[in-house]
Amino acid sequence: MGLPNVFNTGRTGMIASKAAIATTGHNIANTNTEGFSRQRVLTSAETPRNSAGMQSLIGNGTAISRVERINDEYVEKQVRNGARDLSHMEEKDLVLRQTEDVFNEMNGDGLNRLISRFFNEFRKLSNEPDNEAVRQSVRESSQAMVNDFHRIRREVEAVREHIDARLEGYSKEINSLAEQVKDLNMQIKTAELAGGSPNDLLDKRDQAMKKLGSYMEMSVHKDGGGSFVVDVKGVGPLVVGPMAEKFSVFRSKADDQGKPEAAFDVQSTSHANSLVTHQIKGGKLGALLEVRDKTLSTILDRLDELAYNISDSVNSIHQQGFTRHGVQGVEFFGHMGGKERASEFIQLSDAVRDSVNNIAAAAQPDSPGDNRIAIAISGLQSEKFMNEGKATMDDFYNSIVSDVGVAASKNRSGMNQQKDIMTQLNKIRDQISGVSIDEETANLMQFQHMFDASAKVIQVADEMLKTVLDMRR
Amino acid sequence: MRVTQHTNFDTIRDSIHRSKSRMEGLQQQSATLRKLNTPSDDPIGAAKVLEIRTDKVNNDQFQMNTRMAETFLENTDHIIGELADIVVRAKEIALGQASGASSNEGTRLGVAEEVTQLFQQAVATANRRIGDRYLLGGFKTQRPPVDPEGRYTGDDGQTMVEIAKDVFISSNVPGVEVFNTHPKSSNDGRSVYSPNTLGRGPASEGAMDGELAYENVNVFDEIQNLRIALLTGDLDGVRNTLDRFDQVHSKLVACRAKVGSRLQGLQSTSQALERHNVTNAQLGSVLEDADMAQVVSDLTKEETVFKSALASSQRLIQPTLLDFLK
Repeated sequence: MGLPNVFNTGRTGMIASKAAIATTGHNIANTNTEGFSRQRVLTSAETPRNSAGMQSLIGNGTAISRVERINDEYVEKQVRNGARDLSHMEEKDLVLRQTEDVFNEMNGDGLNRLISRFFNEFRKLSNEPDNEAVRQSVRESSQAMVNDFHRIRREVEAVREHIDARLEGYSKEINSLAEQVKDLNMQIKTAELAGGSPNDLLDKRDQAMKKLGSYMEMSVHKDGGGSFVVDVKGVGPLVVGPMAEKFSVFRSKADDQGKPEAAFDVQSTSHANSLVTHQIKGGKLGALLEVRDKTLSTILDRLDELAYNISDSVNSIHQQGFTRHGVQGVEFFGHMGGKERASEFIQLSDAVRDSVNNIAAAAQPDSPGDNRIAIAISGLQSEKFMNEGKATMDDFYNSIVSDVGVAASKNRSGMNQQKDIMTQLNKIRDQISGVSIDEETANLMQFQHMFDASAKVIQVADEMLKTVLDMRR
Repeated sequence: MRVTQHTNFDTIRDSIHRSKSRMEGLQQQSATLRKLNTPSDDPIGAAKVLEIRTDKVNNDQFQMNTRMAETFLENTDHIIGELADIVVRAKEIALGQASGASSNEGTRLGVAEEVTQLFQQAVATANRRIGDRYLLGGFKTQRPPVDPEGRYTGDDGQTMVEIAKDVFISSNVPGVEVFNTHPKSSNDGRSVYSPNTLGRGPASEGAMDGELAYENVNVFDEIQNLRIALLTGDLDGVRNTLDRFDQVHSKLVACRAKVGSRLQGLQSTSQALERHNVTNAQLGSVLEDADMAQVVSDLTKEETVFKSALASSQRLIQPTLLDFLK
């Protein structure tokens, strides 16, 4: 074995330590990069060349075999699923909070108070059926109640529109992320074919996949070539090899699964009949669709039912009564065909709007002191004709408020739990893949010493060579 | 376990967030003095609170109704009392003129004038109103229930008002019940003294004897009877009115008793409502109001937690290995 070989051995050490120091630097530089996995240089001992029939094999130094990223695929998957569930709940929380605000009566006036006021005005009227001022106030309070029905309807619709706007934005983000995953798939494949290990691209793809996975439930597996194949549950493939499917939204008619009129339907190029609104589960999209088509639709249906019942029951009594002009059969609320959108269409009848004398308090004509109709109407407040005779109108409305509260608080406690889970999962991921500056500093010193020592080897070899050359003088 | 800078900072951020959000919640409670700020804070409690508020609004209205009914009934009581006084005075006059010994045509004509006054006073009293509402007209509250001839023009409508949930009380007494001793036996009690019997005087009495128990006596008719008897010098007629005035008077007293018992009923219901309101307010307070002692002590505790989180973070963040490699 020749002396120059020792030079070479020292050189490999220097190269390896330089690579390790560069990688350490890369790690430190990316300490705060989201989704980054720490990397390390794997070296292997250079196998001795079996030359000149030497018996003892002396090593040839070191070689960099590859740079690997430290990453656990299983943990990544857990983080991805955890993030999806958390996004689902956060998204739901956001829109449920808005919905709750619509019904928040804890700090002021709301429909509950206005409904009791409505009935109490009829009680007032029963005291003084002949008093014009009381009639005015009956009409005014009825109008206030009607207005509040309209307000709630309008505000819930506004939440729906907000949801639709988000759906539209999200479908674009999904497309762009799917595109990213597809592109990264191809870049990674190219890099791997060239024999490298594209760690940073892998991190990027994991990161993009994590974001993409937060929109809905999807499954991911690797094909033979190491590319991600993404399947959306119940819908179909989203990314396969060099192909990424597209999501889009369009306005359509109401359907029988709670989707409101003119709200967005979601379609995907990957599904046979392209309509996937009700197939999407979980994630942000799932949360939005669930709240829009289930929670809000149910709320509005019940609100409609309430508005219709108030209007219908008050009318049926009011029509039996006589107005101040002795006319029978006048409606108090404008006629409505049915429950459909009743909270939007509920309105005082033209007659009552024209003159308060058209409010019927009397059960017989020409009896200004007769208050029997007013009493009968105020009695509706405690009559159980909602929910097939199980609830009064008050109960019915209160249960809407409390159901909104239950939905929001259930989701919030789930969300807080999920946050804890995510914290834990992120810690686990960080334990494996995160960069510790202390550790990297220690590594830095270690590799620096190695660099110094390798240089020393060359220096020693140089001195040895000098000694050998000096021998001839 | 590998603990990285990320883990450190995440833990710090996390504990600060947690502590801050708990403090925020407590802060909101102490600022509003309420623990129930949105339905999701306590959905079941929120529904209960709404129920209590409805109850409160209704009770307030019931109390208002009670007060209105009280006013109406008290005024009705005054009217009936005054009518009773008038009847008493009429009877005194009748008594004074009943025997030929104490009366002659001159005195009779003199007091007849007073009886005319009494009649008009009775009509005016019966037509008294509060605001623009005639009290004794039944449902016919917008016109005088008794015309100048003493005929009742109202009906027998009872204005029921709700003074507690599903408890109704009549806030008026229809005139027909007040003016007549047996309103049912005569169509709203009008004119026992019909023009046909006008000239016959005592002769008609025999025919009525048999059904005396069911005979209806009307206040206005009776005063009118007295006046006519005085004017015509019909002493039998004057004597006849004595017993009938007694009947009318006892009827009026009975009416007052009825009104009085209604007023008593109103008061006890009103007290029950007050008690109900207090109970409701207590329950509402338990559900809605923040326990300030608890909130303040929690807040102090949270502040300590927050400070110690910050202090430990300070220690955790500062040193790295780099500080010791020099």
